[in-house]
Amino acid sequence: MIISLNWLKKYIELGESTAELEKLLTFAGIEVEAVKELPALPKSVISAKVVSAVAVPKTDHLQQCLVDIGEYDYPEKNEAGYVQVICGAPNCHAGMMAIIALPGSELPGYTIGKAKIRGVESHGMLCSEKELGISDNHAGIIELPYETAIGISVNDLYDLPDTIFELEITPNRPDLLGYLGIARDLSAKLSRPLIMPDTKIEDEYFAKQDLALKLVINDTEKCPRYTARLFVDVQTGQSPLWMKTALIKSGLRPISNLVDITNFVMLEYGHPLHAFDYARLRSLPGDTVPAIVVRRAEDNETFTALDGKTYTLDSEDLVIGDGESPSALAGVMGSEQSGINPETCMVVLESAAFHPGSIRRTSYKLKLSTDSSYRFERHLSDHATDAASLRAAKLISELANGKLCPKVHDNWPNPSQPQVLGIRPSRYKQVIGYELNDNAIMDYLKKLGLKFIQYGCWIPGKITDVAKLYCHHAEEMKQGKTEFTELPDCVHTQYYEIPPYRIDLEREIDLIEELARLDGYDKVPVKTIPRQVMDRHAYRIKKVAAEYIVSRGFFETLNYSFSDSALMLKLGYAEKDPKLDMLRLKNPQSSNQSAMRTSLVPQLLQNLVYNLNHGEKNIKLFELGKTYHKAEGLSYEPYHLAAALCGRIQNEHWQHKAAMINASYPKGVVEELLDLLGLREYTCQPASEPFLQTAESSQYLFQGKQLAYYGKLRADIAQTFGIDTLELKQDIWILEMHLEDIIEATRHLQRVFNELSRFPSVVRDISFLIADSIGWQDIHQEILSLNPDLICELSPFDEYRGKQVPSGYRSLSLHLKIQDKEKTLTDERVDQLVELVIKTLQDKWQITMR
Amino acid sequence: MQEQLKELVKQAETDIQACVTANDLMNAKAQYLGKKSVLNGLFARMKELSPEERPAFGNMINQSRTQIEALLEIRSKQVKEQAWMNNSNASSYDLSMPGIESSRGGFHPLTIVRREIDEVFLSMGFEIAEGPDIDDDFHNFDALNTPADHPSRNLADTFYLENGGLLRTQTSTVQIRTMERYAPPIRIISPGRCYRNDKPDPSHSPVFHQVEALVVDKGISLGDLTDTLQQFASIMFGKKVGSRIRPHFFPFTEPSAEMDISCVVCGGSGCRVCKNSGWLEMGGAGMVDPNVFDILGIDSELYTGFAFGLGIERIAMLKYNIPDMRILFENDLKMLRQFKGELR
Ligand SMILES: [Zn+2]
Repeated sequence: MIISLNWLKKYIELGESTAELEKLLTFAGIEVEAVKELPALPKSVISAKVVSAVAVPKTDHLQQCLVDIGEYDYPEKNEAGYVQVICGAPNCHAGMMAIIALPGSELPGYTIGKAKIRGVESHGMLCSEKELGISDNHAGIIELPYETAIGISVNDLYDLPDTIFELEITPNRPDLLGYLGIARDLSAKLSRPLIMPDTKIEDEYFAKQDLALKLVINDTEKCPRYTARLFVDVQTGQSPLWMKTALIKSGLRPISNLVDITNFVMLEYGHPLHAFDYARLRSLPGDTVPAIVVRRAEDNETFTALDGKTYTLDSEDLVIGDGESPSALAGVMGSEQSGINPETCMVVLESAAFHPGSIRRTSYKLKLSTDSSYRFERHLSDHATDAASLRAAKLISELANGKLCPKVHDNWPNPSQPQVLGIRPSRYKQVIGYELNDNAIMDYLKKLGLKFIQYGCWIPGKITDVAKLYCHHAEEMKQGKTEFTELPDCVHTQYYEIPPYRIDLEREIDLIEELARLDGYDKVPVKTIPRQVMDRHAYRIKKVAAEYIVSRGFFETLNYSFSDSALMLKLGYAEKDPKLDMLRLKNPQSSNQSAMRTSLVPQLLQNLVYNLNHGEKNIKLFELGKTYHKAEGLSYEPYHLAAALCGRIQNEHWQHKAAMINASYPKGVVEELLDLLGLREYTCQPASEPFLQTAESSQYLFQGKQLAYYGKLRADIAQTFGIDTLELKQDIWILEMHLEDIIEATRHLQRVFNELSRFPSVVRDISFLIADSIGWQDIHQEILSLNPDLICELSPFDEYRGKQVPSGYRSLSLHLKIQDKEKTLTDERVDQLVELVIKTLQDKWQITMR
Repeated sequence: MQEQLKELVKQAETDIQACVTANDLMNAKAQYLGKKSVLNGLFARMKELSPEERPAFGNMINQSRTQIEALLEIRSKQVKEQAWMNNSNASSYDLSMPGIESSRGGFHPLTIVRREIDEVFLSMGFEIAEGPDIDDDFHNFDALNTPADHPSRNLADTFYLENGGLLRTQTSTVQIRTMERYAPPIRIISPGRCYRNDKPDPSHSPVFHQVEALVVDKGISLGDLTDTLQQFASIMFGKKVGSRIRPHFFPFTEPSAEMDISCVVCGGSGCRVCKNSGWLEMGGAGMVDPNVFDILGIDSELYTGFAFGLGIERIAMLKYNIPDMRILFENDLKMLRQFKGELR
């Protein structure tokens, strides 16, 4: 539904800004799909008369026009006082009233200038609706009514500025397919009065006599009501500009005053109407009275609609016929033959109610959807026909000089019973979560058009007999009491009669929804204050770390939190090391459990020894737990993950011999885990743990803090724990992650997707001899820095020492993956880059290519 | 010349049929269609013919070429199919030999049980709260309504530290800390290590693990406690497991209760594990004593709450039929390997 704010304001006072209105509508449950501002146009855009229009020689459509702009002050009028304009519109002709935008006018999107077209000066432009921004119509220039005065501002003519809202109306709310419905919702929401349109017909517009009409409804299920009003002395013609403007802004094309009136009232009331030419109605066979017959079509009966197409009907389609043939496809479309035409002077105005399913079926089957069928298939009440009919009658009398015949033909055999619904304020609180008092509820519902009947006790189920609603509350009300005492078996309830246009209100819960919608979903309380007792990030990091290390073959151990300083001394820590400044127990069970552990490592080594002594060879153990340190307050208890390992990388397999663990393995575990946890920015240096062999250890620092380390256990330290590594013929490796610090370092990390390159990558391999003293870290960094945009991956795939490699050197082979994010790489560019890499390495480290 | 072409196609057919590998086919293709092939040579000799003869001859060569191409294609398909067939039939493997596994490790059974409990309560809308192992008298005793002369405060029961702290004897300390920081409603579990000055024996350990639950809100009743307990027991031990509470005494709950679940070993009929009672003790529980709320400044008229504690070692021992608590802290790989895969 497309609505103009200026039109809407005829039914409710609205001083709100566009943004406020958008919010209001949204929170009233009416989704705003688009908002279009129609700005006020400059004063230099005015009505004008085309005095003459002469074809420009050697052009097929341009006309040289002289335009009368009246008193409007424009310096370059010709001697006769007219303005010369070139116009290419096909409908431009002498004598018409048009709209001119004089040079300098700023229209939506562009500024009008003085121009020379085919050697002829053009002072401005005659405008179409599209050029003024009021519609998309660009078929020709605007043709104003002849009686329009010259020099009137376009803003007055087209009611500008204005705002156009495009609303999404949900299928359950056919009442919102009209301005009044929307205004009614806003009136309830804003607690402002609804201004109903004028329907009072002046005495002089009543005809002296009636026209004879025979109205027959053959199928009252498909058509429960048919209201016909008849008019004489009707003058067909153009609608006044204000009505045309209204229709245009709501997306309809003006046609003629009678058709425009039915469309206007449809937009106003949401109820489609139809007008027939009375003179063309034929009587039933054997009768002389013009007839309207609402009936099912015959199977294979054909009907030629207004769109010029002929449709084949069946007996499920409902038609409005005269005595002989169908005049309209009920609720969907009329026919050319029976419609209003320039000669029409007697009119039958139809306002009917149709079964929604029947209309939907016909519309779907014939693939014919109209503004009318769209509304009828959403169910319009049989109670609504008369109000819309009366409003149209008023407009016909005013705008087409029609005289209304006194007799209203209203065929309405079985009026639908108005729905009565109860609402318990207590139930509102139960469902929505906050209290809405009696008066507020009544205010909202009355504004929506519901009729309050009385208070009563709650009666579950459908209310069939209003008389039975009586209870002591009603009595108390009569006595002027406003407070209610609830009797044990009585739940305080308000009863309402539902207006016919709100077919969607069927149960108490529907009323509750209406109230919540109007009072504001934003008032619904949040029950609990949002907060995080749980540190979900820490929980996740610990979980990911533990799961990863298990996937690498480690088994989890759990050790007592106790330790003692002797154990730390055995690990090689100095007496003064903070790790020996332990939290001591007053009442330990034994001396080796006399303090809280400051490291997980000693117990892990003890676990390793235990298992070595029990015949295990390939051992990977870890513990994820707290260490305990002196700190302000009582203690600092960070989580750590430590692991001890020895033996083979994997279980032995008959086909694949697993290698013994060397530095690569714990290094890979530490680095992959850091990567998994999102930590990629760290620096590496030899570890300083006293129990590790410095040459085969490494630590990872982030902002100067150690996050992790790994390394080979010194043989002498192993010995103090009872492991003879020489006899064992294998090394013991230790690794540790400072989970607590990692948790903090990663707390605000956000993973960001990198745009994928759609261009192919190229892999080049290079092999060279390089001195042992130069580490991979340096080589990697050096090569990458040459062109970080192109080199997307650099990985070693072979290292060799031995035959043909001088001692002190190694042979390294690398994959160099090159990719351009913007274009396909040429061989030439790849070659250049590889050469640059080689040359740089040669210059810096004197490598020999192999 | 025509004869020569016929001969050529015939020869090609024989040679192509003789191909058995993709490589053979490639060679045959080069021989008959390649740059140095006879066919290509004949093309070059077209110049020798008169202009009138050329089109017909060209056609003939092209026909031969198409024929050879078709032969190659057919044979190539046959060769491929044969190779697939051979591949799917050839198996020199003894499939009863061990396959390659990833040598995955495993979690400690106490972690497995703790994580299962975490998941059960997380799914019930609880949050997990943690606190320090080393705490003070206030959080471990005073705030929990434990009188100053209560026997549990003895050195024989509680580890004290030289710095004045103590090792918490239950994770109720975390409940107190949570209530200090956050206003109700509260819905937490607090898993963690606890300490009691017990000598290790089959059913005692100076270091052990607990999960305590705490719910504080308006309208919380003992019924919510029994409900939560039953939900927990059903998810943890199976739908058939029943639960009950029976009166008991704890200083920080009023009324207090001991929670039992029906014996998971015998199903309630009585066995060695449940000492023929049909029930297994799960831990202590009760409604939070209003005094505890008063100490923490929570309106005890407005709010009620329940708390209960579960021993993780006890649940693990019951669940996996582990006879001696000390086994859990030996960290023997033979024990640890048994639980590989319990938790994924
Ligand atoms: Zn039992």
